[in-house]
Amino acid sequence: MYPVVLMARDSGPVPRGPVSVSYTTDLSAVRAVVHRYAVAAGLSEARAIDLVLAVSEVAANTVRHAGSAGRLEIWQGTDEIVCRLSDRGVIADPLAGRRRPSLDDLGGHGLWLVYQVCDKVELCSGAAGTTIALHMALAAEGGPRHAP
Amino acid sequence: MRRDHRVPVRAVPSRSAVWYNKCVELLTVSVTARESAGHPYTLVTIGGEADVTNSGELRRLLEDEVAKQPRTLIVDLSGLRFMDSSALHTLLRVNRSLDRQGGIFALVSPQPAVAKILRLTTADRLIPVFDTVAEAAAG
Repeated sequence: MYPVVLMARDSGPVPRGPVSVSYTTDLSAVRAVVHRYAVAAGLSEARAIDLVLAVSEVAANTVRHAGSAGRLEIWQGTDEIVCRLSDRGVIADPLAGRRRPSLDDLGGHGLWLVYQVCDKVELCSGAAGTTIALHMALAAEGGPRHAP
Repeated sequence: MRRDHRVPVRAVPSRSAVWYNKCVELLTVSVTARESAGHPYTLVTIGGEADVTNSGELRRLLEDEVAKQPRTLIVDLSGLRFMDSSALHTLLRVNRSLDRQGGIFALVSPQPAVAKILRLTTADRLIPVFDTVAEAAAG
């Protein structure tokens, strides 16, 4: 009988391997990947739901505007989970999503929601395309939950 | 890639007449005519995931019902796992159309992800949200 020691030296967050997927209109699969990763990384269900919403809204912009496939990369740092989405679309307005849209507008809530639910959003858009990195802190989650 | 996220449509109570039951990708929508205390209402049950890839179809389905000028249109969201802003805008549009023709719109039993977007956007203050269909039908 051998002793089995799991996570012997460090009970803190262990970075999970990065994930990289390309997507077109298969947003349900994108959401599933993000949710699985977020929960495994230790994000609470409520915050995993937030991150899934944010990623889905950014990916929806790819479907609507980019005219090309998008790429989603997910990785876990020591104290956060990051989802970075890139596509060929261009966001001309640097303040896009920073103002609360009116419900009468019947539009324009996508990026605004992203800013509402994420801890930090980095948006970089130019002629070559748009990259948006969504950060969710893991610190307040009471430690990661590791898959067996 | 897993494509079949459809949820089965719940059994329709015997009093209801099924008008149609249409599946689009990811999304299941069923429409039934019902009655509460002598008042007819239309119940639309949405299941699965509603996003930019199917909100156009959802909008057509709901606008077909709005065009029939129901006094009350109730959307049961209990089987909807996810809703994005384009699906939300579809519901807001339906609410506005019904309002203009003197109808009443109500939502029932949003699950956590759907409740979150309704709350963040304050759409749940514009459109009444109930726990059960019976409560929504009673107004």
